[in-house]
Amino acid sequence: MTIKIATRNVFRNTRRTLISLLVIGVGLTILSFVLGFVGEAILAAKRSLAMELGAFQIGDPRVLDGKASGLEGLIPPEIAERALALVRGLPGVAGATTQVRFAGLVGDERGSTLLLARGIVPEDCMTDYACMIVAGRGLGTTDAREIVLGERLGARLGVAPGDRVNVATGTVAGTLNAATVTVVGLIQYGEAQVEERLGLVPLGFAQRLLRTNGVERVLVWLDDLDRSSPYAAELNRAFSTERLPLAVRTWDELTPFFASLQTFWSAFSGFTTLAVFVLVFFSVLEVLTISFLERTREVGTVRALGASRGRVFAGFVTEGLVIGIVGGLAGAVAGAAVSLVFNSLGLTFVPPGGNMPQPIRVAVGASTLAIPFLVALGATVLSSLYPAGKNARLTVVEALRSV
Amino acid sequence: MQQGSFCYVAGTPVIEAQGLTKFYTLGKETVRALDRVDFTATQGDFAVINGPSGSGKTTLLNMFALIDRPSEGEVLFEEKPTSRLTEGELALLRREKIGLVFQTFNLIPVLSVAENVEYPLLLTKTPRAERRERVAARLDEVGLSGFERRRPDELSGGQRQRVAVARALVTEPRAVLADEPTANLDSGTGKQIMELLQGLNRDHCVTFLVVTHDPSVVGYAQRVLTIRDGRIQGEEKRGAPGPA
Repeated sequence: MTIKIATRNVFRNTRRTLISLLVIGVGLTILSFVLGFVGEAILAAKRSLAMELGAFQIGDPRVLDGKASGLEGLIPPEIAERALALVRGLPGVAGATTQVRFAGLVGDERGSTLLLARGIVPEDCMTDYACMIVAGRGLGTTDAREIVLGERLGARLGVAPGDRVNVATGTVAGTLNAATVTVVGLIQYGEAQVEERLGLVPLGFAQRLLRTNGVERVLVWLDDLDRSSPYAAELNRAFSTERLPLAVRTWDELTPFFASLQTFWSAFSGFTTLAVFVLVFFSVLEVLTISFLERTREVGTVRALGASRGRVFAGFVTEGLVIGIVGGLAGAVAGAAVSLVFNSLGLTFVPPGGNMPQPIRVAVGASTLAIPFLVALGATVLSSLYPAGKNARLTVVEALRSV
Repeated sequence: MQQGSFCYVAGTPVIEAQGLTKFYTLGKETVRALDRVDFTATQGDFAVINGPSGSGKTTLLNMFALIDRPSEGEVLFEEKPTSRLTEGELALLRREKIGLVFQTFNLIPVLSVAENVEYPLLLTKTPRAERRERVAARLDEVGLSGFERRRPDELSGGQRQRVAVARALVTEPRAVLADEPTANLDSGTGKQIMELLQGLNRDHCVTFLVVTHDPSVVGYAQRVLTIRDGRIQGEEKRGAPGPA
C-alpha cells in the first residue's frame, strides 16, 4: 500500500511530476552521454596504446624505464629466445615479436634529416603496420635492405616507393655505419611528429647496421588486455627464478601519461556526475517540498488514524524513490537513445598533433546506464529526506490544522 | 465488536477526563482552552459535547483522541492513564481502539473508497482476507456497497462522510470520536449521518463522542454536555435518544 499510495501521489499533480521527470531526464541524458564519451575516449586511447606497445614489453629494466638508450641494454639473442619461450607458454598470447630501435640520419644527395628507426620482424603480423601503408607495400623479409618511411618524412625528403635513400647510424661499438636502402612504402602513423621521423626497417638489416645480434625489447600482445598485470608479475617471478636480466613493463607502465589522461577524464566525469546530482537534487527537493507541504493535512489524518512517524516518513521517501526510479529509467533510456543516434552519424575528428581522422563514438553500456540511474535514485531519495522528515515531525494537531 | 441491540458491558468506562486543563501560548498571552474538565464516557454511550466556537470542545476531543496532550490532568483510556505513554504507544491505541470522524471527512484522495476504509486495517496488519471482509461489511452498513472503486472526489459530501464513518468503525474500536460531523453537510444529509451514527452506536455497543455546535445533533444523544470557556457547564442525560 505504501508504494501504491506513493506512486499515486507522485502522479497526482501530473504537470509538476512531468517537470521533475524532464529535469531528471535531461540531466541523465547529458550524464549518460558524457560518461559514454569519456568511457569510449579512454578505451580508444587504451586500445591504441596497447596495439602500438603491446600488452607488455620485456627488456633491460633501464631501457624500459627510459634510463638508458636501447643500444646500452640490448638483450642477447639466446636470452630473448628464453623470454619468448616463456611468453609463448602463456595462454591467450595473441602475438610476440622482438624489436630494436635506433636513431640516425636518412637522406640522399639532396640532404639528410633525423631518423627514428624501428627494426621489426616483418613476418610478425602484430607489427607489420600493413593497415597504415598509404603508398607502396610493407617490408619484405627480415634481411631485406628496405625501409618504410613515415609519409611526412617521405614528403620532406621528396622520395616515393622505389627510390633509394641512405641510412646512417652509430654502431654498438660506437663507430658510424651507413647503408643504401630502397623505400618500399610510406605509412600514415597518425601522429604528425612521429611520422616526420619514422622509418621501419627489417630487424636483420637493423642488427647488421648496428653491428649486433641482440634485440632491444620483446613486445607481447594478449587476447585480453586485463591479463597484462598478472602475466607481468608471473614473468617477473620467472625471470628472477631463472636469473635472466630482464624485466616486464605493462603498457600502462610504459605510458605514464595515460594515467594522467585517465585521471583528467575521470575528474571530468566525476564533475559532470556531481553537477547532475546537484541539479536533480535541488529540482526534486523543490517539487517534493511543495508537494509534501500541500499534503500536511493528510499527514495529520493518517497520524490520527494511528500511522507512526516512521510510516509517514517512509511514505514520503518512497515518493522520492518512485520519482527516482521512473526518472532514472527514462533518463537512462533517453541517454542511450541519444548516444546511439550520435554514433550513427559517424562523426570524426583529427586529434591535436595528429593527421588521421578518428571516429568520435559514445559508449553505451551497463555503466553509462547504471550510473545515471543510481545518480537519479540517490538524488531523489536524498532530496525527499528533508521534507519527509519535516512532515513526519509535525504533531498530529499541527498537521490537522494545516489548510 | 459486540453486535445486536443490547450492550452487555454498558457502564464500563472507556474514556475519562480527570482535571483536564490545556493552556495555549499565543505570543505573550496564555490562553486556557480547557479548565479542569472531568468527564467519563462509558461503553455504549452516545454523548454530544455541545458549545459555541472557541469553547474548547475540539481541544477536548483531541485529548480524548490522544492526538494532543493536556497541560494538566489526565486522560484515561479503558481506565489506564495515557499521559506517560510514548508517541508510538499512543499511535497504537489510536489505530486499535479509537475511530475518528472529521468535519472535513479527511479521506485520502488518491485512494478509492474501499482503500480508504481498508487503510486503518493495514496499520494494524490485519490479514488480507479479513480486511476485505471487514471493508465490505462496513461499506454495506453505511450504504455504500457498489461504491468501492470510486475516488473521494467522485462522491457527494454525505457519501464521503459515510466512508469516513466506515473507516472509523472498520478496526472495531472501543470509541468513535466525531468532530462536527455534520458541519459540512446540508441539513438533510446531516440528519442521515446522525441517524447512521446512532444506529451504529446501538448495533455495535461502541462509545460515540460527538462534538458539535449544531443544535439539531443534540437530539440524537443519550448524554449532552455543554462546554463554555473550557469548562463543562452541565450535563443532560436522556433515556431515549432520537432526532430533535
